[in-house]
Amino acid sequence: MHIDKTVLTGMLARTAALWRDHMDDLTDIDSRFGDGDHGVTIGKIADVLDRCAAEWDDDIAGFMTRLAEAVMAVPGGSAAPLYGTFLEGLAEAVPPGVAAIDAPALTAMLASALNNLRTITKAKIGDKTMMDAIIPAVQAAESTAGESVEAVLASAAAAADGGAAATAGFPAKFGRARSYGDATLGTPDVGALSAAMMFRGLREGLPA
Amino acid sequence: MKMKKFINAQENLTKELLEGFVAANSDLVSLKPGYMVVNNALADAHRVTIVTQGGSGHEPAISGFVGEGMVDVSVVGDVFAAPGPQACVDAIKLADKGKGVLYVVLNHAGDMLTGNRTMKEVEKLKLDVRKIVTQEDIANAPRENADDRRGLVGCIPTYKIAGAAAAEGKSLEEVAAIAQRFVDNMATLAVAVRGATHPATGQALADLSDDEMEVGMGQHGEGGGGRMPMKSADETAAIMVDALLKDLSIKPGEKILLILNGAGATTLMELFIIYRKCLEILAERKVEVVANYIGELLTVQEQAGFQMFMARMDYELLRLWNAPCRTPYLTK
Repeated sequence: MHIDKTVLTGMLARTAALWRDHMDDLTDIDSRFGDGDHGVTIGKIADVLDRCAAEWDDDIAGFMTRLAEAVMAVPGGSAAPLYGTFLEGLAEAVPPGVAAIDAPALTAMLASALNNLRTITKAKIGDKTMMDAIIPAVQAAESTAGESVEAVLASAAAAADGGAAATAGFPAKFGRARSYGDATLGTPDVGALSAAMMFRGLREGLPA
Repeated sequence: MKMKKFINAQENLTKELLEGFVAANSDLVSLKPGYMVVNNALADAHRVTIVTQGGSGHEPAISGFVGEGMVDVSVVGDVFAAPGPQACVDAIKLADKGKGVLYVVLNHAGDMLTGNRTMKEVEKLKLDVRKIVTQEDIANAPRENADDRRGLVGCIPTYKIAGAAAAEGKSLEEVAAIAQRFVDNMATLAVAVRGATHPATGQALADLSDDEMEVGMGQHGEGGGGRMPMKSADETAAIMVDALLKDLSIKPGEKILLILNGAGATTLMELFIIYRKCLEILAERKVEVVANYIGELLTVQEQAGFQMFMARMDYELLRLWNAPCRTPYLTK
């Protein structure tokens, strides 16, 4: 399978739906040690995914660039610039005019997205941030790049879930949660959870 | 516990406070879309300009220092939250008068994210921007690990120094170098005796019992690890002065700027009592206080406590600190 406009639209729609279904859960978790706005911000980003997909009138590179800009412009919280930067990284790896993406190209996009995030955050695995989900997801994708689009996204989604779950075992190192230190043990990072949901949504949104 | 604050709808806090603030100081500042507080004299500026950003809830910081000789545009986020990068890019575009922009960012996770993202955007636009990060809280990381140090009240004197250098017509490179020299030689330590309430969420920002204080508490109630039984003014002054002198490796004969910044619910009476003891200790150490500010620059709602700020001064930095400025909350 290749990812073309129809497939990508389905992937984004599933991601937006998953995020929207879990807004309240994300808010609950964020309220424990953060400012409690992650669910609301994720809901706004989900709306942007749907709106941009509905207005799609360009090639994949152009569409992804506009999507990244629209997400970046969502007000409130750190999630919008982080997801916007992730999407921008995806977009930067797609040459103009390309209409379908295979497994190696998808993996290159994910690697580009991670690199782009690293230009704005120094968070590493174990710092209890969304990077705990994204870094293993991209590594898993790279290890399956020679296989299918389905295999790449399945391995990325599983690794992101594992990485997000593991954040429950770390004390927070970034943001407001950092001041709670060891009290954050036992609670996963909300950004890692929403990032894992994104990878799951991209996987589940592929046509059966 | 029910919050006892004179507020209306929580989602309108930032909007309403900015409307009131700008109306009260309409001779000096204006409000532009994107929660930008803009120096009224910016239109006629032919110099390096100063842009900064930060959450609301710390009044008079940060926008109280917008005006000639300090900040040209301050981009305001929600209570204790960084603004988004788009507003900061817009602010830099608005501020740029062809001589470049100095962009001052406090070291907090959200602000740094916005700062880094903004720099990516302005580089794409080929704008001449230099970013300076203020990160001077000595409580939670050693000096070698400055990336982990929070930005506290030190941003305010940094605006003063940088704004004065810009007003003298110095180049962006010179203004940035002076600002960097200042931030590399500054340190802050905070102490809190009673926490505050987050005005938007009602959350308690710190939980200190009646007989304890915390040295090193951040300006959003973040822990600093230095909980101890409540001490007298003189004992507290001694702990903090010594910690700051040690961190900055200040030697006898050196000159400093000393700021006591009330956190919101500590009286000037207390700050003066503390200041008197600071001077006594510094005189013993043969360190000369060549400039000071005692009062509220950056508050944490109704938190009781204060931030003690110290910076090593040289002739140029002192001249810039004393140079004229005209802003709602600092005029020289």
